[in-house]
Amino acid sequence: MASNIPNDKLFLPPSWRGMASVLMIAGLICIMLSAAICYLAGSSEVDGWTIFCHSYLANYVFCLTICLGALFFVMVTHLVRASWCASFRRIAELFAFTIPLWAILFIPILLTAYTKNDWLYPWALGPDSDLPGIVKNKLDYLNPLWFTIRVAIYFAVWIFAARFYFTMSRKQDETGDSEITLKLQKWAGPMIMLFALSVNFGAFDIVMSTDPAWFSTIYGVYIFAASMLSFFATTILSCYLLQRNGRIEKFVNTEHFQDMSKFQFGFIVFWSYIAFSQFLLYWYGNLPEETTWYMHRGEHGWLELGFVLIALHFVVPFLGTMSRHIRRRKAIMAGWACFILFVHALDMLFLVMPYEGIHLSFSLLLGHFVCWAGMFCLFVSIVLMRVGDTPLVAVKDPWLSESLAYEVGP
Amino acid sequence: MSEPKKEKKPAEPKSHGWMAEYDCDHKLLDACRKVRDSGYTKTDAFTPFPIHGIDEALGIKPTVLPWFTFFAGFTGTCTALTMQYYFNAVDYPYIISGKPFASWPAFIPVTFELTVLFAAFTTVFAMLGLNGLPKFSNPVFSNPRFDRVTDDRFFLWIDASDQYYNSDKVRALLADTGPLEVEEVMEDDTPDAIPRKLLITIFTGIAASLIPLVIVMNMRNSKSGASRLHVFFDMDYQPKRKTQTPTTIFENNRVQQPPVPGTVAMGELDFADPYYLGYDPDKTVALNEASAETRFVSLQDEEGSENEAAAAEAPPKLAFLDEFPDGVVTDEMFDIGKAKFEQVCAACHGFSGYGDGLVSQRANNIGAANWANPTSLHSPTVRPQPVGQIYHTIANGKGKMGSYGPTLNPKERWAVVLYVKTLQRSQDGEESDIPTGATVEELDLRPDAAKAKPAASNAEPGTPSEQIALPEKPATAEPAVEEPASEDPAATDTTEKPAETETPAAEPEKPAEEPATEEPDASETPAEEPAAEEPSTEEPATSESTTSEEPPAEEPAKESGSSESDE
Repeated sequence: MASNIPNDKLFLPPSWRGMASVLMIAGLICIMLSAAICYLAGSSEVDGWTIFCHSYLANYVFCLTICLGALFFVMVTHLVRASWCASFRRIAELFAFTIPLWAILFIPILLTAYTKNDWLYPWALGPDSDLPGIVKNKLDYLNPLWFTIRVAIYFAVWIFAARFYFTMSRKQDETGDSEITLKLQKWAGPMIMLFALSVNFGAFDIVMSTDPAWFSTIYGVYIFAASMLSFFATTILSCYLLQRNGRIEKFVNTEHFQDMSKFQFGFIVFWSYIAFSQFLLYWYGNLPEETTWYMHRGEHGWLELGFVLIALHFVVPFLGTMSRHIRRRKAIMAGWACFILFVHALDMLFLVMPYEGIHLSFSLLLGHFVCWAGMFCLFVSIVLMRVGDTPLVAVKDPWLSESLAYEVGP
Repeated sequence: MSEPKKEKKPAEPKSHGWMAEYDCDHKLLDACRKVRDSGYTKTDAFTPFPIHGIDEALGIKPTVLPWFTFFAGFTGTCTALTMQYYFNAVDYPYIISGKPFASWPAFIPVTFELTVLFAAFTTVFAMLGLNGLPKFSNPVFSNPRFDRVTDDRFFLWIDASDQYYNSDKVRALLADTGPLEVEEVMEDDTPDAIPRKLLITIFTGIAASLIPLVIVMNMRNSKSGASRLHVFFDMDYQPKRKTQTPTTIFENNRVQQPPVPGTVAMGELDFADPYYLGYDPDKTVALNEASAETRFVSLQDEEGSENEAAAAEAPPKLAFLDEFPDGVVTDEMFDIGKAKFEQVCAACHGFSGYGDGLVSQRANNIGAANWANPTSLHSPTVRPQPVGQIYHTIANGKGKMGSYGPTLNPKERWAVVLYVKTLQRSQDGEESDIPTGATVEELDLRPDAAKAKPAASNAEPGTPSEQIALPEKPATAEPAVEEPASEDPAATDTTEKPAETETPAAEPEKPAEEPATEEPDASETPAEEPAAEEPSTEEPATSESTTSEEPPAEEPAKESGSSESDE
């Protein structure tokens, strides 16, 4: 087997590693700058701090979903004993293993829940406020302490799973023990169940409870669909950029790109399907407590954003990445991956931001995207730091040779 | 790698092509590349399993099949959208669950289905067509070695129709690729006509399968005197009697027996009970005796005068209850009434009953055609209505208002009447309703009243109410403010207002607003001064007993706030 493995550069380009600290500083500056812009974007109806908090949450979720998608990808490919992805699964493992750092970045969000302000979570105002009765009835569930406990549990599950898969895979790098792969496969099933529950409830708690009166049981699946989509886009982009720098060239070939692109295409459709299912039922039912969420998104410029999402998050990439000939061209697919990441950011904006009194304005968009740029810099920086001198390919993965010989059917 | 054998067959049959056999896919792939590079295009490979890269090795161009799929799918999308738009919005517009005729979200599932359907069917049939399928036979099957193609052998094929085909050269080329065997396949000379027996069977089968259809069509278009066939006899003739048929079981020979005297049908207890009707049926009969006679007369001879006819047409007057039935005027009923009013009635009539509910506001905003504004419960026509009439309106509807009988059971209807009466009273209080000696703060039971208290007790006349009016969201109360002011501007006085309006404790803001607008008046009325300045000099414990309906009106205010003295 060893002879099969191409002798290729397996580590990050050194210049990239130096970028980590720069990016981190740039990211923090951008986030602070965005706070200033958002502050100015505030109006009489809503203060700028609320806008900034929403922007932070939206962009935080943007990054977290990528990591969660990576975690799920690692687990599900072990579960089904997928061999084709063995050559780039390490990249997904690395993305997933940044979740502990995202847990730290969640602390500011958590703190807003303790401030008795509705900067992010109206339920944080507590029982003595003039919250509507429907929200007050939920306060037994949506209160800061219980919220903290739940979020801690979700992060515990994610961190445990990510750490388990990463460390075991690293161990295999040294020992080459194929028993490890069997062990990872054995635990994938239970962990996916835990993952499904934690992502679902995490979506309810972290994102959906910004509008605590509203509820949607498919919301977790929506976030999951967005996670997988953004994960595949990020992986395509990372592989492309690494190969541009002469890394892992012989490990990730056109066939892998085509399959990742296929998955990306599939999740474009899946996202649309879930998003539309949610909308259709509420539109048909037309019940006041269910339509409020969409009512917020039907005014103050958000409706236009909704139509933009339909076009850019579904129609354009659906038609654009449909063809096999496109999917097999790495540079074009890298371009599409950037596009998908952009619309994913728009999607998160649409999920989190529209709120009573927040109007879609230029200054808000500017503030939001500066925050997005900052958060994305942080994301890249965190990933680069996490990678460090870890090899980018699990060289002793027993599936690796099969993965290298992988070829997509005609 | 055995030497290819020479073709032994007689020369007369035409060559169909050459076939080479390999024992592994790598050899096949190599051979394919060689053949491709030699310029042959009419080639094919047969393998037990799909082999990656075979189409590149054979030089097969990418298939055009995806284009069929794409355009078929697109056609499906367009068909579905056009079809649904035409059906629902043009050809047969029909309101479905209050949605617009062209409800695009509702069209999407069908659009999705048709897109998939068109695309899938087209893909399958285009694939068959592009491959020249179905094909029942192929000369290659004549080679017994070819049977192993589904097992462990790989075959490469060069067709005789290729433009560069030359039997010897092809054989030489294939022999050079290291096959197990190279063999020429001759055109199949067995007759290719479908056997006559098979044809007859097929056509007979088709014809026979049409017989039931023909019979059905014939039956549907002809008449017959023959009785029908009873396949399930005991289903057609059941051992039971039907209504309106005689029987010998009972003495009166009737299948359908009349109910036992005194029987009350399920759910029909409200028959003739004032509590369920809102009016007294006996009194109603008495009240309408005259008109009933007129009606009777006018029915008998049709020459009745116009007045008589009109009287006959007029609906009977109902003797509505003037007072609440027993057990209605309680705190518990007030709570139910408030809850139900706000759930059911407030959408149109508004929370304070001025007919300014959200539905009405919306209807006016969008200029809804045929929208009749809900009646204000404080209008001069509604205010004097007896409780029974309001009950009757709730139960049966009135004008454009539908019946809420199915929504509210009799108990809840009475509770709502109680609440409506309270609301009316709250907007139409009299000076005499003020308990003497009560202070504004005592009467004011709003949650935020406590905050205003210290300031209010020391304040000038009129100021307390102003301070109460100030806190929070004054804007929301606007509509409620205007009307009472115009209705009885002089009679009102500040202290009395808060006292009364506080009763529906749910809406602190609105009532609080009124005193503020009345302020000039208020400062003139002397009555309020003692109320404001002498807190708790007298606090009679008894609750107010004005009219039978009123006490509950004080519900939230109850003991602590109200006193009877002036009555």
